[in-house]
Amino acid sequence: MALVRLLFIAFVVLSVIYLSLSLYSRAKARDRLEAEWDEGDFDIPRKSYVRAGLAEYDSSLRRKLILGVYIVPMSIVVLIIYLVNFA
Amino acid sequence: MRYVGWTILIAFWVSFGAFLHYTLPQRDVVRIVNTYEERQELGDWTRMFWSRPDEQTDALINRDVQFIQGLRDNGKPMVYRNEDTGWSWPPYFKFDTANLYTEANDSVSTRAAPEWYLVTHYGWRNEFLSIFPNAISIRPLEGPDASKGIPWINIIILTLLAAFFYAIWVRWRRFRRARIDPKLEEMQDSWQSAGDAVQERRGRVRRWLDTWRSK
Repeated sequence: MALVRLLFIAFVVLSVIYLSLSLYSRAKARDRLEAEWDEGDFDIPRKSYVRAGLAEYDSSLRRKLILGVYIVPMSIVVLIIYLVNFA
Repeated sequence: MRYVGWTILIAFWVSFGAFLHYTLPQRDVVRIVNTYEERQELGDWTRMFWSRPDEQTDALINRDVQFIQGLRDNGKPMVYRNEDTGWSWPPYFKFDTANLYTEANDSVSTRAAPEWYLVTHYGWRNEFLSIFPNAISIRPLEGPDASKGIPWINIIILTLLAAFFYAIWVRWRRFRRARIDPKLEEMQDSWQSAGDAVQERRGRVRRWLDTWRSK
């Protein structure tokens, strides 16, 4: 049960961090795309340029790296368990 | 008001430092003298200085606890408890209590032929509260003066914490300068002008009263 409690609390806390980070990162990507359009001169309208850029962002590595919010703490826990009990 | 602020600030940092000192790993060089098991009463507030190895132990008001007795190079005794931390706080995830007990029993040495061990532990020894640090692991050393090694984990954790608090502090200062200070100045200005207006009006009333006074 202690394990369930730990997993639950960790999941809630990490999810809050994950959500905030992904929203922040997407907003940043949007800002960057808008600034890019404003600087250069493009044939396509601003809206569709930003939309295409964001679609690219959605499948980018940068977005997947945010999953590290879950992966890094989990790996640290596994590492601690190994070092304390089996090393 | 200034003293209240300072008191709260100092109390916060002292308790935070105590919390870190209790939780972070420390290393002692000891000669292991003996190990024993003793029934402990856990029914009072010092319960928080003992572990919660599993769910059943939460309900118990006493249970057997393993101890490891050591003597330091300077002859001072150091007694450790040996308990699982399990999945609860602090996050050492220690499950190998029985293995550590076996190792400790295997490491017992006499004063005539001492063998020195590095005991990694967290927690405090306090004779008045009858609390003991929890041993995490033991490792043989060449002698009582051998190096304890660099405390990498403490360095990393303390550096990260310092960076975290510095980041918050910098943002708070920036926020205060940009948002709160101008507002405070505004309030001060409006107070001052309100004060001036009151003074002005009082002056007028006084002048009017003065007209009734016999000259």
